[in-house]
Amino acid sequence: MQGLPSLPVVVRLLLSGKERKDKDTHSNKNKYYEGLNRNRSNEEHSNEDNKDDKPLANLLIVDDDPDIAQVLEQGFLKNSFLVSTFTNPEEALKNFQSNSEDYCLMLSDIRMPGISGIKLARKVKEINPKVKVILMTSFEIKDNEFSKVFPSTQVDGFVQKTNSD
Amino acid sequence: MRMTSAGSHRIESVMQWFEDGMEEGENGILVYPNMQTFREIYMQYAKDQLVAREEQKENEDNNNDDYHDNNNRHKEQLLMPRIILIATFYDTVNAVKHNLSAVGVDVQSHIDDGSLLIVDAYDGYYPNINGMKMLVKSLSDRARKEGRIGVSVISNMGFFFLYDGDGDASELISYETSLPSKTDGGNVRGLSCYHTRDYENLDDSQKKELDTQGQKKSLEVTESAAYVAFDA
Repeated sequence: MQGLPSLPVVVRLLLSGKERKDKDTHSNKNKYYEGLNRNRSNEEHSNEDNKDDKPLANLLIVDDDPDIAQVLEQGFLKNSFLVSTFTNPEEALKNFQSNSEDYCLMLSDIRMPGISGIKLARKVKEINPKVKVILMTSFEIKDNEFSKVFPSTQVDGFVQKTNSD
Repeated sequence: MRMTSAGSHRIESVMQWFEDGMEEGENGILVYPNMQTFREIYMQYAKDQLVAREEQKENEDNNNDDYHDNNNRHKEQLLMPRIILIATFYDTVNAVKHNLSAVGVDVQSHIDDGSLLIVDAYDGYYPNINGMKMLVKSLSDRARKEGRIGVSVISNMGFFFLYDGDGDASELISYETSLPSKTDGGNVRGLSCYHTRDYENLDDSQKKELDTQGQKKSLEVTESAAYVAFDA
């Protein structure tokens, strides 16, 4: 299990086999550059393996808690990822349906009203099976909890948020 | 469906509906528009039931004539408040404890004296779908033994939307319809709480089945602060 601060490292490892996206095809291009500018002005750039300032990958982040969503967005922008962040899973799904080829990975909370992370993962994999999916939760991850999910839902990883019970 | 203007007293209207509109032994349905509203509901209810009673009891102990009540049953109820069960799903148990503390509820002491129970709804419904019912039954029995007036259950039903595929609400409907709208002689007031985004996943016939063809009392709190809508 990984906490939120180490997530960019985990995601980078998970995507290590993938080719870097050289073309900014998504509307979040600006977010990426804003993130880079913040890094340059506020602190030494820590992303030594991405010196050419090209985005590592395009991520879809979904969490109904706006604070968590913002923390994740900032963390990934800092690490030179392109990110699209949503607090409403329905909107996230709509966006993914229109831009599924742009994304490499979705990071989603599990317990969200409307569409749970588990259902969202299922739909994302149906639309584009190449997209990696990481689910995260503030709740204790119980072994039996996910026995009901598999094998109908393919998930590439689980993350325990650190501010849990 | 009736619309009642509630203005800034929206949560108070919900409390009134739960306290006065629902009798002992009844199970009802509440649809809330967002998490903040759901939090306000359980926070206000716990505060009213636990903190306000404590203050009232203190006043009685001090022989304050304004609060004095010769009704023995009333005194007993002050000594032994209802048991409140909050089954949370979208917030963690710790988050609920934190929220309750923020409105002045001494969470740990009420947990210790058996007046308050906060559980992860997931554990109540999985792996045994009837786990929550068994828990409520045991609380109901304990309330009788301890001379409490009863048990209030505020249960978030988000669990039933965690796994089911599109349009499949059979498990939820089967569970909800197994909860009778009214149990004669019962001492439990149960509230099944649905986030509106979950509830809107159900079609009209499923919604109808959910409230046992209109037999259950149901309340829909709207996004607008101005109105509380409810079925009569």
